[in-house]
Amino acid sequence: MAVVEQREGTVEEVPGRKPGTRSRRVALIIFLALIFLFPLIAYPIFDSYAYVMQIGMLMLMWISMSSSWNIIGGFAGYISLGHGVFYAIGGYSAGLALAHWGISPFLFLPLAGLAAMFVGFLAGLITLRTRGPAFIVATIAMLFLFLLWFDNWEFIGGSSGLDLPFLQFPVQFLKVPFYYAMALSAIGAVYLSYRVAHSKFGLGLRAISQDETKAEVAGINTRWYKVWAFALSAYFIGTAGAVYGYSLTHLRPLTFFAIAVAARMVLMAIIGGRGTVAGPVLGAILIVGVNELSVRQFGQTELNIVITGLILVAALLFFPLGIVGSLRKAGRLPAFLDWD
Amino acid sequence: MQWLQILVLGLLLGGIYAMMASGLTLLFGVMRVVNLAHAAFILVASYITYALFESLALDPMISLVITMPLMFSLGVVLYLLLFPRLEDSPRYVEMTVLLTFGLALIVEGMLTFTFTGIFRSVRPDYASSAVRIGEIFMPTSQLYAASISFALLIGLGLVLRFTKTGTAIRATMQNRSAAQIVGVNVRRVSALAFGIGMALAGAAGSLLSFMFPFFPARHWQWIALLLALIVLGGMGSIKGAVIGALLLAVASSFVSNTFGPTWSPITFYLTLFLILLIRPQGLFGAKVRL
Amino acid sequence: MPLLEIEDVVAGYSTGPDILTGVTLSIEEGTSYCIVGPNGAGKSTLLRTIAGFLTPRSGEVRLNGATVNSSRPDQMLAAGVCFVPQDASLFPTMTVKENLVMGGYLLNDRSLLRQKLDMVYATFPALAERKAQNAGTLSGGEQQMVTLGRALMVEPKVVMIDEPSLGLAPMIADQIFEKIRGFRELGITVVLVEQNAVKGLNAVEWGFVLDLGSLEFEGPADGILGDPRIRELYLGKQLTQREG
Repeated sequence: MAVVEQREGTVEEVPGRKPGTRSRRVALIIFLALIFLFPLIAYPIFDSYAYVMQIGMLMLMWISMSSSWNIIGGFAGYISLGHGVFYAIGGYSAGLALAHWGISPFLFLPLAGLAAMFVGFLAGLITLRTRGPAFIVATIAMLFLFLLWFDNWEFIGGSSGLDLPFLQFPVQFLKVPFYYAMALSAIGAVYLSYRVAHSKFGLGLRAISQDETKAEVAGINTRWYKVWAFALSAYFIGTAGAVYGYSLTHLRPLTFFAIAVAARMVLMAIIGGRGTVAGPVLGAILIVGVNELSVRQFGQTELNIVITGLILVAALLFFPLGIVGSLRKAGRLPAFLDWD
Repeated sequence: MQWLQILVLGLLLGGIYAMMASGLTLLFGVMRVVNLAHAAFILVASYITYALFESLALDPMISLVITMPLMFSLGVVLYLLLFPRLEDSPRYVEMTVLLTFGLALIVEGMLTFTFTGIFRSVRPDYASSAVRIGEIFMPTSQLYAASISFALLIGLGLVLRFTKTGTAIRATMQNRSAAQIVGVNVRRVSALAFGIGMALAGAAGSLLSFMFPFFPARHWQWIALLLALIVLGGMGSIKGAVIGALLLAVASSFVSNTFGPTWSPITFYLTLFLILLIRPQGLFGAKVRL
Repeated sequence: MPLLEIEDVVAGYSTGPDILTGVTLSIEEGTSYCIVGPNGAGKSTLLRTIAGFLTPRSGEVRLNGATVNSSRPDQMLAAGVCFVPQDASLFPTMTVKENLVMGGYLLNDRSLLRQKLDMVYATFPALAERKAQNAGTLSGGEQQMVTLGRALMVEPKVVMIDEPSLGLAPMIADQIFEKIRGFRELGITVVLVEQNAVKGLNAVEWGFVLDLGSLEFEGPADGILGDPRIRELYLGKQLTQREG
């Protein structure tokens, strides 16, 4: 996007670049460096190193998941509450690969993502025959269908679950490889989100979210766009699931299929700013942070769900555009958050 | 068990599901709101019924007299507090879904906080007996619950058909802006519809309290089921919800008998997916996009 | 005092831009009006704002001197302002009779309802023939007659009709305008919005020309038709849009 000349004879930026590109680059480098160096920096600083690593991993996991969800839920505007399915597929496919063939989930990662994406594609073909509220219901039905199936499938251990072998690694650094694997997933997810946002595909998705009929009339093959968006949104949720499952060493369907999972993915994208690239990232970091603080205050109680629900309701009523969206609307979005 | 027995059991259960689903589809028809919190509120009524039973030995069927008006008022208040704000929003449908999602979480959390996650149930005397008509056995609790459900459904039908408010509701369901044009106060109608939907949820809660054990997180299974039912019947169609509920309950009754009880919920979701493949608007839904 | 006064009204849809950018006009009782203007001028928006579907962002809408900015559509109808919108505003699965009866929703007197129904059947004999037919199965012209007949049910003071001839064959459109002219005999103030300026202005006494959300000029209907400015407005403006 070229910047319009403000005054005759002067051009503020290099033609073709958005203002603030430099500060965004800097922010990106800092952020990436932080992610990679964090385990090293944190070791001498924090006493409860394992706990800190766990939080880090969780933040990266939710970044991965909410950014992915954002592709269908934010860009295309189709709210899916069933994305836990892909989380489960990732977790279980990697877990099974480990349990039966001894392949490390860290190596299996890309395949776990593919498995999730494959299922996403097929499920998308069916669920995306509906729109709006019926679509939301269809994704919920999808979630429950898979939950029931997994709960009753002896091969994967049914509702009691599947045990996975432990990772052979020095105990005090045990979380570190999971952290880095999750970081890969998160970076992949955000990068995918960025590329989609800046592509013709992404433009088409946005058109669909604004007015699907007009998008169709404009020549966009809405059906394929939506199905591909759905499928793509599954990939890095699958990879996240694979890493997370491994970190738990015991897989149970309910861990992945819990509605709370969908709730948090959605909440993070909304709080941060649905339909933006930076939004879900911000939302994920915030919500995980708030959650941890509240757990330390109130313990892992039901108050947690109440707070999640309250934040969601408040956000919808008062900040529907999320942080990034609201800042952008008010014209005060700092460049390092503006990745759209 | 012979097929007639299975059929009857299916119909009994179907009647109850139909009453639960009709409240939900009414809400959608009038306000285009998918109320993900509907089952959570059903549970609220169940817990209230439970509390009344434990403290006052109040028969759950009698508590309907308390839970229905209570939930009706709650519905009207909630509607007026939360929804008018979103009316102008370009993303109305999604926003309301997420809003009710948030509500469901809040309700679940509060229920867990108040009552903990222990399975509860209400056990009046008739909870463990059965009625026998000819060769057919019917659990008394289901018979009572189904009878009350059918009565409520008929009542709803009568109100919608013959009262002025009912006509206004039907008109709003058919064409909201046309209803406004002829002088219907659609905001009032929406609030009333929300109240009626919640009142039906209240009734369902009281009835369910003595039929199945319940715990706070249970509402997700119920809402998924009810949603599948209304999409199947056609969102916004009460007739569709009733027929869909009866059909599916009977079908799942047969499935449960043949393959075992764990398979019966799967019947609902599989049927839903099948219908989505063939006829996405459901049995009686409008062909127009939602 | 004019029946309806619109003073410097600015309005738009949800969070979108201003469509009306400061419209001022007044409607006198018993006169018939037509609002014309190019696409996007805000004609429909103006009617919707008066009818209560939109709240003005600034400015005032007054009915008989009283400000009605925040009135709801049903309140405006109760006050005698009836709106007939552009798109299908019928209840598709109800019969013609049921649709008409719905038109009388605000009437609480059953005998009055019967009386009005008979009056509508007399005015629109074609509807009497089809009273048991589902409104969704009627032809375009017949549907338009149902919406007009429905408007008559509450004895409105003013009827605002948005694009009465939209999608209708010229002959049928003429019939509709005939019926609209009949409203005047009943003493009803008529305000039309018409894309087809000729047909619209021929059916009324006074014309308003709207462009870009405000009033360009007004005058007796036949005068406007001959006014060179209107050709400029329609043809001139359209060319510029194409270039831009």
